Amino acid sequence: MRRRQLHLGGFFSTPGNHLAGWRHPNAVPTADMDFRLYAHITQMVERAKFDTIFFQDTAAVNGSRAMARGDMTRTRISRIVKLEPTTLLCALAAVTSHIGLIATATTTYNEPYNVARRFMSIDHISGGRAGWNLVTSQIEDEAQNFGYAEHVDHAKRYARAAEFYDVVVGLWDSWEDDALLRDKAAGIYMDRDKVHFLDHEGEHFKVRGPLNVTRSAQGWPVVAQAGSSEAGRELAAKTADVVFTAQTLMDEARAFYADVKGRAARYGRSAEDIVIMPGITPVLGATMAEARERYEELQALLPDDLALQSMSHISGGLDLSKFPLDGPLPELPPSNAAKARQALVVKTAREQNMTLRQIARHTAAAMGHRVLVGTAEYIADELVRWLKADAADGFNVICNHYPKPLEDFCQLVVPELQRRGVFRTEYEGTTLREHLGLRVPKNRYTARQRQAAD
Amino acid sequence: MIILPPKASTMILTKPDKPKRQLRFGAFMNVPSSHPTGWRHPDAIADTDLCFRHLADMARMAEHGRLDAMFFQDSVAIPGSAGLYGGKPFNPRSGRQAHIEPVSAIAGLAAITSHLGLISTCTTSYNEPYNVARRFLTIDHISGGRVGWNLVTSQAEDEAMNFGLDAHLDHALRYERAAEFHDVVVGLWDSWEDDAFLRDKESGVWFDHTKMHFLNHRGKHFTVRGPLNVARSPQGRPVIAQAGSSDVGMELAARTADMVFTAQPTIRDGQAFCAEMRTRAAKYGRGPDHLRIFPGLMPIVGRTEGEAREKYEELRELVDDEVGLRGVARLCGGLNIYDYPPDGPLPPLPPSNAARARQEMIIAMGKRGMTIREIGRVLGMSQAHRVAYGTPQQLADDMQEWLEADACDGFNLLFAHYPKPLEDFCLLVVPELQRRGIFRTEYEGTTLRANLGVPVPPNVFAQEPAHA
Repeated sequence: MRRRQLHLGGFFSTPGNHLAGWRHPNAVPTADMDFRLYAHITQMVERAKFDTIFFQDTAAVNGSRAMARGDMTRTRISRIVKLEPTTLLCALAAVTSHIGLIATATTTYNEPYNVARRFMSIDHISGGRAGWNLVTSQIEDEAQNFGYAEHVDHAKRYARAAEFYDVVVGLWDSWEDDALLRDKAAGIYMDRDKVHFLDHEGEHFKVRGPLNVTRSAQGWPVVAQAGSSEAGRELAAKTADVVFTAQTLMDEARAFYADVKGRAARYGRSAEDIVIMPGITPVLGATMAEARERYEELQALLPDDLALQSMSHISGGLDLSKFPLDGPLPELPPSNAAKARQALVVKTAREQNMTLRQIARHTAAAMGHRVLVGTAEYIADELVRWLKADAADGFNVICNHYPKPLEDFCQLVVPELQRRGVFRTEYEGTTLREHLGLRVPKNRYTARQRQAAD
Repeated sequence: MIILPPKASTMILTKPDKPKRQLRFGAFMNVPSSHPTGWRHPDAIADTDLCFRHLADMARMAEHGRLDAMFFQDSVAIPGSAGLYGGKPFNPRSGRQAHIEPVSAIAGLAAITSHLGLISTCTTSYNEPYNVARRFLTIDHISGGRVGWNLVTSQAEDEAMNFGLDAHLDHALRYERAAEFHDVVVGLWDSWEDDAFLRDKESGVWFDHTKMHFLNHRGKHFTVRGPLNVARSPQGRPVIAQAGSSDVGMELAARTADMVFTAQPTIRDGQAFCAEMRTRAAKYGRGPDHLRIFPGLMPIVGRTEGEAREKYEELRELVDDEVGLRGVARLCGGLNIYDYPPDGPLPPLPPSNAARARQEMIIAMGKRGMTIREIGRVLGMSQAHRVAYGTPQQLADDMQEWLEADACDGFNLLFAHYPKPLEDFCLLVVPELQRRGIFRTEYEGTTLRANLGVPVPPNVFAQEPAHA
């Protein structure tokens, strides 16, 4: 029997996920705005047979709310400007042939018709390789770019997100697969009976449809989610094809994995319908000692006060700079933003008995994701260990800076995984659903008619 | 009249010492065909609406022909869906049903072209300015400064119902929102000065906060703090295009647009429109170089006059009366044109809340004695734009005449179907224009502003450099 395969995503957190990674001598710090670099790294992971790339997003300058209030201490933070990811995916689709293309788009400050259209368009441009990472906007910085003084409450945001999802996938089914005839002789462009009004009326949206884009080569774009809170897990179990998560401890990861897949069963979905991909940050060396040296080299670029700033979005509004760096992490007020990430950081600090300085430096290094410091063999073994323990179906590879650490991962770790028989040497197909082993969703109208006919 | 009668080619003499004014071209992309049933033509590739590979091939052709830009039309609904929803019959012959969202399409095309301008329509009625500012500026970076935004207000009832509304917004309110939307977008585009990002590895300082600017916009329709999370454009700011030819539309264009698209049936109309636009623009301190005017033109090219006429007639044969009449009905301001005999005259029309300038044009056709069906055939072929058929020389004569009479800066080219008429224009007409010295043989620059010859606007927030 063929061994269970793991999936790999390139989580592109440009110009580097490590808060000071861009200062590394090998780093290309223009990686935030330079399309040529994005094209280069995407083609590189495509050659390495990654399932997909993935872009996170925020519709604001990070920290802009604080800066608007006069706090100008953030000029050392690098993830300030970037290319808007759904637009970027279109351009990357044009210069690649197999790699999946996933980007975040918020349900909080968009209209479902526009989002449905845009992702289905990317799916057409790419020949069935698009994915939508559905999020609710959790960053306080965003609200004021969209006419709100404060951002929307966590529960309300999720209620809107759930309805938003229903509208989007409903619109994606507007056209049955054989609706476009384009019959020149008869003069019939489309079969009217195979195009459907959604006619959605809900608490948040009223959308008639039909969408003015047909279904794609993979039916619908893949839907990804990253919410790990209670509401987030429930929505993911019901709707997500892919779940991104931050997990640092294998037991926790196994519990999360079992929980999400268990919840999915309640919605009539099987465990294989959801691909769970925790993030990992590799720090590679020819020996374990060299890898550790490289990690220390990176951490040396990070001043303590900058590390502390990385905690600001999960501190629940508490000003951590008022607390002693060598004391414990203080009690944090509940956060309306990233609930699950806050819990993870607090748990890590408490369990490992870390000081405020230590937990801040740890968080700044990988934004809460697991850091794997070691040789290619060690990292491959760790990934396989999690795979076998049902702690993950695959991993999102997040890099401290670009492009060198990603090149190293593709050249050194991927062959190790292939040697262990857990990673493809050729793509199975051309669509993202094929790479991930996901089913093509049936068109609801076609299915209904078939049912009625039986 | 819309149709250019063929005439003998004449050489127009110009003074040799004066550099000739140059024509500019946009390729209007209304896939699968600008002629609503043009997709049925034997040469037509019918799936240009959803197949990106065809768009890519056409972009390469347009770039080979040194055209200024490709310009994508858009609507956020299936045209006619409001009527269909209300129980009206649906015309299955019309090709414009589904298409790749054009802002996404031009982002894809940016990656495989190097000089061609890429313009897409995006409505101000059903979007948020922060999102629109971000997407266009992103494509501007991907393309190295070749993007343009065709700012429109949504005038189709079809669209409103996809965004929670039962009817579309009133004309005046829509334009008021559009004007404020424009100001927010352009303001956000200046969030960062060109040298704001230091990326200094040594000191660890990423940006200079004195070169970052909050917009802090508070208006009737929008409250937007900023800054935008995209650096400033390689061409200063994306090009703004507009197509509104109503009074309020022209005023907005005069103040804000770099390019104006318009339907002008005769050279005299074109001259009047150009003069009017330039007078209005002057009020805002803007000269002829700030605003390029592109009337629409559907060229039908033949190697001989006979071949061109044959092609023209073949396309007229393809016009679907139902589509034509629907085109008329849309401009009738609520009057039900189907109550009138199609072979009779056009009745007096109540003012339309939708496309006012178009309505005035069909009223003018009616006054010239055209029947409802005939008007419909003309609208049905080219969406009320001018159609010209002839040899490359004849078409060059026509365009040169418009250019020299100051009736245009160039043309937005409509194609009855794709890709053959676009190829014909690039391979047959462009060389003739180049031979006459009225069209570039190489691109002037790598940005859309450089090729259009419109200025790079200064950053509104930047301090004037101190004089020594």
